[in-house]
Amino acid sequence: MILRPQTGDFLVIGRHTGRVIVGVGFLMLPPLLVALLGGEWNPAIDFLVGVGACLTVGFALELACRGAREPSWTHGMVIAAVSWLAAMALGAVPGWLSGHYGSYLDACFDAMSGLTTTGLFLLQDLDHASAGLNTWRHLLSWAGGQGIVVVALAFLSSGRGAGAYTLYVGEAKEERLLPSVVSTARAIWFVSFAWMALGTFALLAAGLAIGLAPHRALLHGVWVFMGGWSTGGFAPMAANLLYYHSALYEMIAISICIVGSFNFALHWAVWTGNRAELRRNVELVSFAVTMAIALLLVAAGLARLGVYPDATALFRKVFFQVASGHTTTGFGTVYARAFVTQWGPLAMIGLTLAMAIGASSCSTAGGIKGLRVGVLAAALLQEARRLISPERAVVAQRFHHIGTRHLTDAVVRSAALVALWYLATYAIGTVAGVWYGADIASALFEAVSAGSNTGLSCGLTGPALPAGLKIVYILEMWVGRLEFMGIIALFGFAAALARGK
Amino acid sequence: MMGRAARGFLLFLLLLAAPVSAAVSPRVNPEFAAPGPGMPAGVTVASAALIENASVWDNRSISFAGEAVGEAMIRGDHAWLHVNDDAYQARNLDDGRPRAGYNSGQAIWAPAELARRVRLFGDYRNEGDAVRVSGEFHAACREHGGDMDIHATGLEIVREGHSVAQKLNIGRLWIGLALLAIAGALWLMRFRGARTGTR
Repeated sequence: MILRPQTGDFLVIGRHTGRVIVGVGFLMLPPLLVALLGGEWNPAIDFLVGVGACLTVGFALELACRGAREPSWTHGMVIAAVSWLAAMALGAVPGWLSGHYGSYLDACFDAMSGLTTTGLFLLQDLDHASAGLNTWRHLLSWAGGQGIVVVALAFLSSGRGAGAYTLYVGEAKEERLLPSVVSTARAIWFVSFAWMALGTFALLAAGLAIGLAPHRALLHGVWVFMGGWSTGGFAPMAANLLYYHSALYEMIAISICIVGSFNFALHWAVWTGNRAELRRNVELVSFAVTMAIALLLVAAGLARLGVYPDATALFRKVFFQVASGHTTTGFGTVYARAFVTQWGPLAMIGLTLAMAIGASSCSTAGGIKGLRVGVLAAALLQEARRLISPERAVVAQRFHHIGTRHLTDAVVRSAALVALWYLATYAIGTVAGVWYGADIASALFEAVSAGSNTGLSCGLTGPALPAGLKIVYILEMWVGRLEFMGIIALFGFAAALARGK
Repeated sequence: MMGRAARGFLLFLLLLAAPVSAAVSPRVNPEFAAPGPGMPAGVTVASAALIENASVWDNRSISFAGEAVGEAMIRGDHAWLHVNDDAYQARNLDDGRPRAGYNSGQAIWAPAELARRVRLFGDYRNEGDAVRVSGEFHAACREHGGDMDIHATGLEIVREGHSVAQKLNIGRLWIGLALLAIAGALWLMRFRGARTGTR
C-alpha cells in the first residue's frame, strides 16, 4: 500500500527548500558587489531584485513550514530535486532582467546549465555582458559544482541531524570525507578554495603574460577558474577559450578541469597524505584508459580528414577538446559549428563517447562516471575469468577506490542501473533533437552534452532552439546532475500524492 | 618501463606526425558563400561563411569587417584582436539593439602597430570601433596551433566606437528595495518565532 504524503512531509520539504533558496539569495551578493565596484548600476539593481526575491521566497517558505521535523531518506531526495528546480527558477531572475535573454525560459536554461555545471548557454551578446552578470554565471557553476544543498548545509545549517546526510546523498554525492556531513561539506569547500587561490593566481599570471589588462586578467582568471574547476565550461567571451590564443592559458585551464573532475574523496586522500591513491584508484585508471581511446578516435578522424597541418596542432586541439569533453567541462578552442564542418563524424563520435562517460563520481563532473565504467569493466573481466576457470572455482574480483573493495553483485547492479539511466537519457534527448529536425550526429552530440552536463555544442543549441527542445535539455541537465535518485523519489512522491491512501 | 599500450599509443602519435594530406574532398555548404571562379582576392566574407566553408576559404586573401571586442592582446610585435561581424557590431543589446542571437566573429593576428589603431573595444560599457581587416584566412593555422584565424596585412577604422549611455532603472530599484523590506520583515518573524521556541 502506498501512503499518501501528509502535511508534515510538505513542511519538511518546504523548510529545507526555503533554506536552499535563501542560500541562492546570499550567493547573489558577490555579483552584486562586482557590479557595484564596476559602476554597473543596472546590473546591480537586477541583483538587488534577485536577492530580494530569493530572501522573500526563502524566508516565507521557512516561516510557513516551521515546526518541520528532520528529513527522512525520501525527503532528502525530494528536497534535492525540488531545490534544484527552485534554485533554477530564482537564479534565473538577474539574467532575465539583464535583457540578454529571449525569454524567461532561456534564462532558466542558463541557470540550470550553470547550476548543473553543464555550460550550454542561450545568453545573447555575451561579449557585451556586464562583469556582474558574468560573475553570476560562473558563480552558479561554482556553487552547483560543490552542490547547492552542500552550500546550504555548509553555511546555513548546524547539520547535526541525521537528515543532513540524506540531503547530501540526494545531490549525488556519497563519500563522507569526515564523520559529520557538514564537516564533509566544509572540507569540500576548503579543498575548492585552496585550489581556487592557486588556479586563479596561475591564470592571472598567464593572462598578464598574454596581454590582458590587469583587471581583466584577474576577472577572467577568477571566471575561467570557476568554469574549469566546476567543470562548468562557461567562459566570459563568446569565443570561449579560443579567445586567448595561448597554449599556456589552455594548459592551465585544462589542468584545472582535470583536477576539478577528480573525486573529492581522492582530493581529500591526497590532501591528507595518501598519495598512493593516485596510482591505484579505479576511477583514475578508468579515466586514463577511456581518455586514451577517445583521443585515438578523435585523432584518427581528424587525421583522416587532414584538418590540422601538423601533429603539434592536431595534438593541441584534440587533447584540449577531448579532455574538456571527458571531464564534462565544455571549454572549447574551436568554434561550435566546426565540430560538424571541420571535425566530421568520427571525431564527433570520439568526443561524444568521452562526454557520455564523464569523469569521477562525487566530483563536480557529470556523465556515467569513471567509477561505474571501472566497476562494469571489472565485472566483465570477472565474467571472462569465470568462463575460463573450472566450474567450481570461486572467482573473486576486487577494485580499489579509496580502499580495496570486493566486487559484489549489488555493486555491479547499481553501476549498471545508473549507466542504463544515463544511456536512456541520452537516447531520449537524441530522439527529441531528431524530432525537432536535427541530423542524428548533431542530435546525439548535443543530447549527450546536456545529459552528461558537459556543455560542448556543435551549434544546435542556440536562442532559436525550439522551446520544447530547450525544456528537454533542461530536464536532461537536471536528471543527469542528480543521477536520477532524487528525480525518481520526486516522481514517487507525486505518484503517492495522487494514488496513495 | 613503458607498457605495451603506452608504446602503441606513442607509435600512433608518431604516425600522425607525418604531414597529413586531405584525403577527403572539402565539403561545401551551399547556404554560405564560397569562393568561385573569377572571384577577386580580398572579397569581404562573413564569419559564418568562413566557419561553414573553412576548407575552401583556407589560405585565401579576404577582407573581414566588424566590431573589435575585448582588447588587443599584444604579443611582441604582433597582437590578437577579436572582430565580431554579428548583429551587434553597430549597436549592442545595452545600447538598444534588439536581441539577435549569439556573437560571431573571427580572430585576427595583426602587426602590433595596426592593432594599436583600435581605440575602443566592445564590452558592457562600450560599442567598439568598427574595423575592416584585409589578410589571409587560415582554417587551421600552422603558426598558431591549429587556431582558425586571419593574418592581417591591413586594418582600417571604418567607424569609431562610442560609450553606451546607461539609463538608471529606478522603477526596478524600488521593486528590489520593497522585496528586501518584505524579506527583512519575514526574517524578523522567523527569528522571533525561533526565539519563542516555535521554530
